[in-house]
Amino acid sequence: MPPTIPSLAPEAMAETVRRSVLVARLQDLLAWGRKNSMWPYGFGLSCCFVEMATSLTSKFDIARFGAEVIRGSPRQADVMIVAGTVFRKMAPIVRELYEQMMEPRWVISMGSCANSGGMYDIYSVVQGVDKFMPVDVYIPGCPPRPDAFMEGLLLLRNAVGSERRPLSWVVGPQGAYRLELPAQREAKRVARQRVTTLARPDAVSAAEAEAPPAPPSTAVTAPRVTVAPPRAGEAPDPIAALQEALGAETVQVQATCDGIPTAWVSAARVADALQLLKSGLPAPYRMLYDLSAIDERWRRNRADQPPSDFTLVYQLLSLERNAYVRVKVALTGEHPTAPSIARLWPNANVYEREVWDMFGVGFDGHPCLRRILMPEGWVGHPLRKEHPARATEMEPYRLPDDLFDEALERLRFKPEAWGLKRGRDGTDFMFLNIGPQHPGTHGVLRLIVQLDGEEIVDVVPDIGFHHRGAEKMAERQSWHTFIPYTDRIEYLGGVMNNLPYLLAVEKLAGIEVPPRAQTIRVMLCELFRLASHLVWYGTFAQDVGALSPVFYMFTDRERIFGITEAITGGRMHPSWFRIGGVAADLPRGWDRMLREFLRTMPQRLAEYDRLVMRNRIFQARTRGVGDYTRDEAIDWGVTGPGLRACGLAWDARRRMPYSGYEQFDFEIPTGTHGDAYDRAVVRVAEMRQSLRILEQCLAWMPEGAYTSSHPHATPPVRERMLHDIETLITHFLSVSWGPVIPAGEAFVGIEATKGNNGYYLISDDGTGAYRARIRTPSFPHVLMVPHIARGWMVADLLAILGSIDFVLSDVDR
Amino acid sequence: MNGSPPLWPLALYAAGVLALVAFMIGASHVLGQRHRERVTHVPYESGIPPVGTARLRLAARYYLLAILFVVFDLEAVLLMGWAVAARETGWAGFAAALVFVLLLLVALAYLWRSGALEAGPSRGRRRDRARDAGAR
Repeated sequence: MPPTIPSLAPEAMAETVRRSVLVARLQDLLAWGRKNSMWPYGFGLSCCFVEMATSLTSKFDIARFGAEVIRGSPRQADVMIVAGTVFRKMAPIVRELYEQMMEPRWVISMGSCANSGGMYDIYSVVQGVDKFMPVDVYIPGCPPRPDAFMEGLLLLRNAVGSERRPLSWVVGPQGAYRLELPAQREAKRVARQRVTTLARPDAVSAAEAEAPPAPPSTAVTAPRVTVAPPRAGEAPDPIAALQEALGAETVQVQATCDGIPTAWVSAARVADALQLLKSGLPAPYRMLYDLSAIDERWRRNRADQPPSDFTLVYQLLSLERNAYVRVKVALTGEHPTAPSIARLWPNANVYEREVWDMFGVGFDGHPCLRRILMPEGWVGHPLRKEHPARATEMEPYRLPDDLFDEALERLRFKPEAWGLKRGRDGTDFMFLNIGPQHPGTHGVLRLIVQLDGEEIVDVVPDIGFHHRGAEKMAERQSWHTFIPYTDRIEYLGGVMNNLPYLLAVEKLAGIEVPPRAQTIRVMLCELFRLASHLVWYGTFAQDVGALSPVFYMFTDRERIFGITEAITGGRMHPSWFRIGGVAADLPRGWDRMLREFLRTMPQRLAEYDRLVMRNRIFQARTRGVGDYTRDEAIDWGVTGPGLRACGLAWDARRRMPYSGYEQFDFEIPTGTHGDAYDRAVVRVAEMRQSLRILEQCLAWMPEGAYTSSHPHATPPVRERMLHDIETLITHFLSVSWGPVIPAGEAFVGIEATKGNNGYYLISDDGTGAYRARIRTPSFPHVLMVPHIARGWMVADLLAILGSIDFVLSDVDR
Repeated sequence: MNGSPPLWPLALYAAGVLALVAFMIGASHVLGQRHRERVTHVPYESGIPPVGTARLRLAARYYLLAILFVVFDLEAVLLMGWAVAARETGWAGFAAALVFVLLLLVALAYLWRSGALEAGPSRGRRRDRARDAGAR
């Protein structure tokens, strides 16, 4: 472990200074130099890193403090900002990077997760980076705003400016002497107590806030176009077809409240059943949309289902019917096995690995059944009911030298274990680690690239460095208190993540959401789609060498955050949707802000077309690169812009409308080649469509309630409380435990920023989910990278990664 | 030419350079703090211990590119020598130089045609060929 830094009281410090005026002067000079030329390490773990990166851009501009020189290697950096969640799988790597930094080096712990684990008291998260590394400054927040990050950096600068460090490593005592850093909470207490008028978080002007509410607009009803989703005509019922093919007695039908046809088949016949659904029907279910499992052993309300200890759930999607079908397989025993379906769909391989990793359910005939999210050597399978959920229920995380060496040795890639050759025809392959700490992977993704010269022979993705155990967390939280965790699943999508979860809860509880709440939700989702696409736009351009666009795009993202902050009070993770509606009504002045944004944004997009899309270098780097066909996309479960770039106009907002999207008039942009350039074209066109939807929200925002009056809606209505002791108790229980959602199962998928995001929720008549399966788009997208990247060059790999647009928390959950 | 210029300024200059470099390397060796922890001196590879060595046997096409570079570099050296003596060698020398350059150009055209200069990704090449075949 690194030596702890001794600190001196001010008197002792003064004594040290007096000892040698000359040396002190020289040391002052050096400290001044260090203070004013801090080079941060471009090191990010999760959401916090996006706010840290935002501090580099124009509204905040960290260059004012001489700290904008972000280094890509620990050898050149002075200050390591541990921005985000420290995962157990990632912790040895964080320590390795810290040890590889040169002296002098400082550490800032940014965000609640790095400080203490924050809201993630979960098996996969280290409860604070200071468990294995010294920390100089802690910045609270989840995530801290860029301003908070800059204040932390300034505090560190001031500390560094008063430090005494030995001039040489060969002379005199070692170790740095510094003043004790005071806690900012104490330092600011008096000033904060004096504040009586709080700043408005919403940027709505004071005049607007004081003005009387505007009379309700008259043009509020009857919007717009109602576009019916295309239907698949008279497609035969999938369950009837299954019963006909496999025998009626072997297929058991389950009624679900989401209306998705659900059939139970035996493990022996599952491959036949899926084969039939995939290719033996008119309008077949060609996409393996999701594959997961349920640990049924503790579940009480399942009388209508066959006995089962572990249930496999296969969910297929038909793009012609715009419909899902669900096939379930009952397995009994502590560690049962089922036949693998990896030969039917290429993405089944990785989904089966996930089921093995999380549940300990084996798959016969799987080519490579090994852990995918948890680190090698993990004991147990986290989503089994007996596995502890909290990190604080387990042994505290420690990283002594022997465990550190062992962990690093486990991380070292062994080509033979993956069936990869070390060379061919007398040449050697190079095995290069791209990530987990690499600017091109946009997060903690590790790709092991097998290279012949510069050409990619094969890629082995290693994920799970960002596994925050969200599905296990859902089993512990109440229905209401899980909402903030959904924000952090796809951390660029903000409240859009709340939507599929809440739609599924509302389906289970039978809650009708009022039209105003639906439209507010749509408006915020589209704002966040724009914000997420802007981050993608800038970083993608940066990946292929255009360094300046990202600064413009982050500026526009800040303008969007100005609006969302006025409405929700939050930036990246507002957690603002509620069961049955939203948390509050729109503030006065929201329409002025949105109108102003909609007025200027089209010009900006036109400028970005000139800056990026029509840039010849950008086109040369992306046209034709990383292409895949429509069939490949469907086989791999690709959704969202990646699917539409292959020419298939499939958008869940249109094909399976939710939250009132059927009332909006917008187009579905498509590409033709399915290459990196077309994926970019589709996203850019989508941003314009989002602006169209926002214009319609502005023109036709319905009047009425912003949340449902259903008794299961949260938070419970206050007016119903203070009548008698019964209403008080009911209110108290609805606030503390939250609603008890009736037993049942429901899945809802939406068109999120990266593709289709869906929640499959199971209620066991409880105050929280019995099981929550989160189907995220980035998981199949990232695990498809080897298939896309083979035969391209290393430089193309970064263009491919940028064009896929993934977020690591959306991959690992 | 009456006697060579004195050598001592050059020697002084060389000594000055050596002293300065020795001071810079020596001072930066002694100054500052250092630490040596478990993986401080392991090569940095995105935070993961590396596999194998950096001394690889690379594919022959890199050798080919390197040797082409050397050939055309040497050509420049030879032509430079000829350019210095261009007036003395006259038209005969010019013709010889021309033949030399033309020979190299023919070789270059041959290499170009046979695909020796292609270093792009095989996947892109495959697709381009397929597209060409489709166009025909």
